[in-house]
Amino acid sequence: MPLWLLWSLATIVLWGTWGMVSKIASTGVDAYLNQLFYTAGLTPLMAFVAWTVYRSKAGRKREGQAAGVFWAFLTGILGGLGNIAFFEALVKGGKASVVAPVTALFPLVTVLLALVFLRERLSRVQWLGLGLAFAAIYLLSA
Amino acid sequence: MHAWLGFAALALVLWGITGVTQKLSTNRISSERSFLWFCWAMVTLSGAVLLVERPDYTLRGIVVICSIAGGALNGLGAWTSFRALESGGKASIVISLISLYPLLTVVLAVLLLHERLTWMQSAGAVTAIAAAILLSLEPASKTGPSSGSSAD
Repeated sequence: MPLWLLWSLATIVLWGTWGMVSKIASTGVDAYLNQLFYTAGLTPLMAFVAWTVYRSKAGRKREGQAAGVFWAFLTGILGGLGNIAFFEALVKGGKASVVAPVTALFPLVTVLLALVFLRERLSRVQWLGLGLAFAAIYLLSA
Repeated sequence: MHAWLGFAALALVLWGITGVTQKLSTNRISSERSFLWFCWAMVTLSGAVLLVERPDYTLRGIVVICSIAGGALNGLGAWTSFRALESGGKASIVISLISLYPLLTVVLAVLLLHERLTWMQSAGAVTAIAAAILLSLEPASKTGPSSGSSAD
């Protein structure tokens, strides 16, 4: 089995399980505390990545670095707020089996933003995906 | 509209915006450094949460374990997705493949949490996964550093 396939399957297992454990957590903890514990769970990996960055001397100054850090930090803030909304959806009674597929449609927003602000062009397949995404939201919210 | 759907839609929008901001970041700095600053932002946000809320020490153990495990699982998932892209996997295939992750959530929730879906919701779950895969397929001319499709 190629290594990339193994890593991809591992990603499916890790993210797929995250949806389920988040539902269990939401039965006893509110969305904000869930985000707090979530960050605690993230800390060991953060320490590991910090160590690899330090070892690879990736800290060399580079053009555009400050902007890159700004966007990464903003990604974390928005991602964390998105997590809180995700946890709140589960606390409010959303089923993990429905909330996970709905929120997995986030590329819908990415694609629309890239279309408007980054002036990227959409392929026919992406247009089809866009249509399917709206159909999916309708079906899942029924 | 159900309250949960409003929050799910909000998560979708916020995570969708991160798809763009993450790309703007990884176009300028390495994915590792980007991930690190992403984590610092999570720590900052948690600090803000601590200012307004105190941890409840009477929480059930399983709840706390699942909550902490959630962070570890999601973070590791982001890391393995980067590894998949760096191990020679084509971005279009890797990102499409990992877009299947909600399918596992559905299976686990039905089997272990005994959730039941209507036929419309089942059709919606399948359609959503198909849509996520199609949306992740960037035009061939766009070959910038892939930001992956992290769920966080």
